[in-house]
Amino acid sequence: MTSRRWLVLLLCAMPFVAACDDTPKARAAELQKLAAARKDSLARRIAAAAATPDKAIPLAMWIMPPLLREISGLALTSRGTVLTHDDNSGRVSEIDPKTGILVKSFSLLGNQKEDFEAITIAGNEIYLLASDGKLFKFREGADGQQVSFMMFDTGLGKLCEFESLAYQADSTRLLMACKRSLGESAPKDLIIYRLPLPLKRESITAIQVPLHDVIGSNLWKNFRPSDMTIDPFTKNIVIIASHEKGLVVLTPDGDVVRSEPLPGDHQQAEGVAITNDSLLVISDEANVKPAAITLYKWRPQ
Amino acid sequence: MPVLKEMIDVITMKSDRPVRRLVGYYLIVALVVAVLAYFFPIQIARIAAKGLGDVPEGPTVLTDALSSSPTASVSFGPGSLFDVALTTVMILIGALVLILPVTWVYMSARPSGGQHNQNVVQTLIFLPIVVAGIVFIVQNSLALAFSLAGVVGAVRFRTTLRDSRDLVYVFLSIVVGFSAGVQSLAVGAVISIFFNFVLILTWHYDYGRNMLMPTASAQWSRPLQALASPTGDHQIPDRDLILSLTPANAAALADRFSRVQKAVGSKKKKPRFDAILTVTTDKVPEAQVQIEEVLEAMTKRWSLDEIVTNTGKPSEIYYLTRLKKSVPRDLLLTAIHENAEGLIASADIETGAVEEDDKGKKDKTDGVKA
Repeated sequence: MTSRRWLVLLLCAMPFVAACDDTPKARAAELQKLAAARKDSLARRIAAAAATPDKAIPLAMWIMPPLLREISGLALTSRGTVLTHDDNSGRVSEIDPKTGILVKSFSLLGNQKEDFEAITIAGNEIYLLASDGKLFKFREGADGQQVSFMMFDTGLGKLCEFESLAYQADSTRLLMACKRSLGESAPKDLIIYRLPLPLKRESITAIQVPLHDVIGSNLWKNFRPSDMTIDPFTKNIVIIASHEKGLVVLTPDGDVVRSEPLPGDHQQAEGVAITNDSLLVISDEANVKPAAITLYKWRPQ
Repeated sequence: MPVLKEMIDVITMKSDRPVRRLVGYYLIVALVVAVLAYFFPIQIARIAAKGLGDVPEGPTVLTDALSSSPTASVSFGPGSLFDVALTTVMILIGALVLILPVTWVYMSARPSGGQHNQNVVQTLIFLPIVVAGIVFIVQNSLALAFSLAGVVGAVRFRTTLRDSRDLVYVFLSIVVGFSAGVQSLAVGAVISIFFNFVLILTWHYDYGRNMLMPTASAQWSRPLQALASPTGDHQIPDRDLILSLTPANAAALADRFSRVQKAVGSKKKKPRFDAILTVTTDKVPEAQVQIEEVLEAMTKRWSLDEIVTNTGKPSEIYYLTRLKKSVPRDLLLTAIHENAEGLIASADIETGAVEEDDKGKKDKTDGVKA
């Protein structure tokens, strides 16, 4: 009988325990509070960084959860957040880089497994690039949703291995930088393919940038792009290379503006994005250190 | 535990059948999980199917690697201290809830007369908890996995198990632990439930007894045949028996042989019985009436030898019979099945060595005639 009383007591207590649990409303309020505190903290760090403009000081570094340990490309949304994805799965996550909050995750229908390397946003559509040159086009999904997609094979996989993708809004073109040419007689120069939208194989063009121009005064022997983005202020093309730990800025026509080492200490920089309020966001895949995205003050010139 | 027992009693209407009690237990667990899932949907989804990778989690606060101030530490979300603690407690309780019925099945479903090993039972309880803990810590960290493999390898699990089937329970225990550790308890639940029912049914129907091999009793009879060789050339010399038997053993055997002799009959006469009828049934008294009607009509003589009552699986009735030459074995079995339809689970007749000898002689004679 005593045992039954305990059981009844336990069942009665359950709703009260549940009531004490964090409800979605309470969670949202706490989340907002935390986001505000982190934004304040970031503002203070930006002010401190402005005082020493010659030093590349990280403004924030957010450690990625396990599902993003192989974080790859980054793409800036119109809301100021960044979309990113895991190297091996078509699962896209939205992160607010200023607060370090992973807002949501959605995936391609059927949990596509590919060697995804880069992501970009063109209007309402999102493009994921696989290393063999295949492009996956889809719309943004809600948290936990699986979204349908269309795959377009650029046919460039025979020529190059790709890791970088960006969208040039002015010319409505996708840009894909060749990381490694596959042909034996292929030039070592930096080649960027331009794919006007809507995608058609026959309309693909390329620009070739001499390697010695790209390297400039740096000690690199090569330059293998791991991601690229468009500078929202100058519309220049910003390319990073994980292996060389370098950053190159090109004009839309392919002239080198500057080439320099990446700021900070990045083990494996895989993604880059520049926000409208001058923050350079770099994502690092887990490699000795945990996967993370790091923020720096972006100086266009 | 008394509460749980009472609740299972209520659901199963105090049935002592293992399958019913298992179903009762799982119904209670399902009810509790449903209630918890109603109040704590996120937490339950996290431990039940997170490992499958498709559970939306809502906003997640990422760890700030630059700030050392406590305000920047994660206060909630999957990475928070509270959540880690809660998730750990839940996966451990989940592992325990799933492994409990496995231990019951292990203790119940033993071969006739077999005893379970208490150490194995306790291992089955502890192992998933430890494995869940290990997997939860190791998740997604190759470095930790190697370190822990080294640590665990140093204290290897080297107990030699008496019954090879015990190893399967240990493996299941590891599976449950893994499923809890990777926060996919739903998978562990399905596997353990399926395992339990398959095992109970296998035990219930005594699956795996090879019908082509001699029965256990036939194997026992071989040394006895050697002992009582009709030709007189005893294969087991008396001196061996003298050395191997104590006076008490010899007296007990003599007593047993005298009882067997009474049943077999006197010398120079045909044996009183030449076959054993084995019937399995859940309704012993009713089945007995129907079977004995058939035996009375279709055999020369019969005698009830033993009734072995089992809990959770059909009881066994053994009859000694002397078959009529005009009634073949199959005809007798058919008649028993027809007369006791719905009352018996199985019936089988083993014929003794005497009949086989007779048959051999007959075949020989036929051969001469031809």
